[in-house]
Amino acid sequence: MTTTLHSNDQSLALAIEPDAGKRKLSTAKAIQEAISQRMARDESVFVMGEDVGPYGGIFSSTTGLIDRFGPERVLDTPISESAFIGLGIGAAVEGMRPIVELMFADFFGVCMDQIYNHMAKIHYESGGNVRVPMVLMTAAGGGYSDGAQHSQCLWGTFAHLPGMKVVVPSNPYDAKGLMAAAIESDDPVVFMFHKGIMGLGWMAKNKRSIGAVPEGEYFVPIGKARVAREGTDVTIVTVSLSVHHSLDVAERLEPEGISVEVIDLRSLVPLDREAIVRSVSKTGRLIVVDEDYQSFGLSGEVIAAVAEHDPTLLKRVSRVCVPDVPIPYARELEYAVLPTPARIEAAVRDAMAT
Amino acid sequence: MTDVLFPVISEAEDATGVIVTWFVESGDKVTPATLIAEVAMDKVDAEVYPETSGVITLVVEEEKEVPQGTVIAQVT
Repeated sequence: MTTTLHSNDQSLALAIEPDAGKRKLSTAKAIQEAISQRMARDESVFVMGEDVGPYGGIFSSTTGLIDRFGPERVLDTPISESAFIGLGIGAAVEGMRPIVELMFADFFGVCMDQIYNHMAKIHYESGGNVRVPMVLMTAAGGGYSDGAQHSQCLWGTFAHLPGMKVVVPSNPYDAKGLMAAAIESDDPVVFMFHKGIMGLGWMAKNKRSIGAVPEGEYFVPIGKARVAREGTDVTIVTVSLSVHHSLDVAERLEPEGISVEVIDLRSLVPLDREAIVRSVSKTGRLIVVDEDYQSFGLSGEVIAAVAEHDPTLLKRVSRVCVPDVPIPYARELEYAVLPTPARIEAAVRDAMAT
Repeated sequence: MTDVLFPVISEAEDATGVIVTWFVESGDKVTPATLIAEVAMDKVDAEVYPETSGVITLVVEEEKEVPQGTVIAQVT
């Protein structure tokens, strides 16, 4: 099946979610490939951010791009997020398609006015006349002792504010297709990759961060969840690295006769409420696993999506999130607050006991 | 049969590195365009492609530390 994600250029007809094939990539390489292929096709696409050039992005999201496209299209910026995100917005409203990397999502504080008052609102405030086709790419998540200012997910914070799509891939295949779709979107897209899914040698080993990726271009539609694993007893709704942990738990519990369905949301905005309701209609038990802070975020929104549809669907509901504390630096303390496989497994067993 | 070597990255002859990721498994068909591995030495990463086409057999496991120049796979 082919389609176009925006209608003003019919030459962009690309496959939607084709067969993965056999070639494997890490998530980092899949993101690089998506950007590279879009840059080769469309001169208006360019990359900007701190250490995105020769260094290749501190989490390897832009490795090799400067060698292929040069410093005019892969721009290393000074450490001034407010300035270069503003520059990206200006380029976008003039018709370019910038991919701007905010090195850590945690750094949004110094540039939030550009993000939520300008990037996210220009389309609305111009009465629909001005589009902002920009990708704000940023690293999220913890688990490697980087402290309270470098370990947050914060996708719920971005998703809370209207005007931005928020994309959170979990694997190489989705990361490539979602990045292509994000670049092609005429709306601003916040593309948040967890460092633990990138397949980097210096992070904790994660077999699911390496996977089959088609060599050609394709889109993964933004706003469509994926059933990562089918099951009948309990629904886990989650994103990003927690998808991998949830799948590990589901595999471990299968021999005991516990059948866990894992829904990978893939994006928070738009949120695929239908996919959530469809799964909970089948299982009646819902666990939301989210590495973001528990209160006022994704987990509450997912539960509300079911409760507003039909509260009687819920026999049992719980969440495994970061309690509302800063992410600790000390390894033992950090792993005490993260949604670890052990916490997820305990939640599943608890749900099955009732 | 051709050997695939751990790339020589360092000027120090006895330098060692690790295979970060195998992107292929023993028995897979490969060509010189197939990314087969990512290796790391200190903080430098390098990609490994075979010189010839054929069926690959992996010799060294992921995460194992080996001297640069070591045979890490064979293509037949």
